[in-house]
Amino acid sequence: MNKSIIVKTGLVLLLGHAAGCATTTTPVELTTARASYQQATQGAAASHDPADLHTAKSAMNAAERSFEEDGNTQETRDLAYTADRRARIAEARGNASKATEEQKKTIDDMHSTQAAELGQANKKLEQQGQTMEAQAAQVASEREARLAAEKRAAQATADLAKFASIKEESRGMVITLSGGVLFASGKSDLLPAAQLKLNSVADALMQQDPDSKMVVEGHTDSQGGDAYNQDLSQRRAQTVRDYLVSRGVAADRATAQGFGPSRSIADNKSAEGRANNRRVEIVVEPKSPAKI
Amino acid sequence: MNRQQIIGPWRVATGYIVTAGLSFALGCAGTTPPSAQQLADVQSANRSATELGAHKNPRAELHLKLAEEQLQQAERAISDDDDERANGLLMRAKADAELAIALTREDNANTQASKAVEQSDAKLGATP
Repeated sequence: MNKSIIVKTGLVLLLGHAAGCATTTTPVELTTARASYQQATQGAAASHDPADLHTAKSAMNAAERSFEEDGNTQETRDLAYTADRRARIAEARGNASKATEEQKKTIDDMHSTQAAELGQANKKLEQQGQTMEAQAAQVASEREARLAAEKRAAQATADLAKFASIKEESRGMVITLSGGVLFASGKSDLLPAAQLKLNSVADALMQQDPDSKMVVEGHTDSQGGDAYNQDLSQRRAQTVRDYLVSRGVAADRATAQGFGPSRSIADNKSAEGRANNRRVEIVVEPKSPAKI
Repeated sequence: MNRQQIIGPWRVATGYIVTAGLSFALGCAGTTPPSAQQLADVQSANRSATELGAHKNPRAELHLKLAEEQLQQAERAISDDDDERANGLLMRAKADAELAIALTREDNANTQASKAVEQSDAKLGATP
């Protein structure tokens, strides 16, 4: 009787133990969970989702404790299964967080680059605008200078016309100055009033083509000896030429030549004719045609 | 002495029964029935996963299915008064539903990141 009770209670014990603790073989769920957790710790979760990784670790610990204390029970398997999912959740959330961060960085970088490119384009446009403004200003300034020069030339010619005759001849532009206006009788020194007039002549000449040559010609009437008149005309021409050079006419443009009475333009018999013959002519050669 | 001789075997037997009971209790702890809230949590997680498109995501789809199956099994276990099994299944179902959500979101985030790179390449590549 006693023996039978002992046997029965022994069986009950064994059944109870079997139902409660099962075996000690490591469940597949736990092995899988360990691997998943290991993988999660090495991924983006460590840096991007430590909170979920911590939850996974707690779940992992619960599964390990259950296995250690109770063995391969249903509860251990449930806990391990859950721990596996927690580890994979941490991994997925870490990866998602990392991807979102990368997406944001890509967009930010793109915007920065676009802004920089836009800035450069604006700067270039601004520089182009400034260049165009400068060019327009230069064109306007050149036009102004040209108009001013034309005005000065016209003015100089007008001034010149007050006391000199200006003619266009085949040999060039001829400016004729009366000898009486420039020199005292028989002298080759300029009269004070003559200098002012020659200043106007020099101004007018400098407005002309800077490459054109000119000859300052001295002419006398026929009174007196030819040699004397020739010498006088030469000295007078030279005086005028030198004065013009001193006023800025290029020295290599101007030469002086005396003709004495040889090129009369009026009758030497009358006083008026002789006065007209006493003269200085400045002959500005016509512009040579452009060389090809 | 006599009394001890009679009582002895009973005491031993009682000791075994108590030990067996404890042992069973240790093995099968937590037999509180699952709360309505636990069930609602899993149902809610499954709905979220579906709304997010987990059923169209190759990686998430399996876990959404597992969550749904385990939820059904848990409901059967509750009808069978197997509270312990129901608790375990609900715990599994919830974890699977949440994993389905996390995997779907991960793929969505990766897609968005790739799109951003393509967009950036297209825009920056187009400018001289």
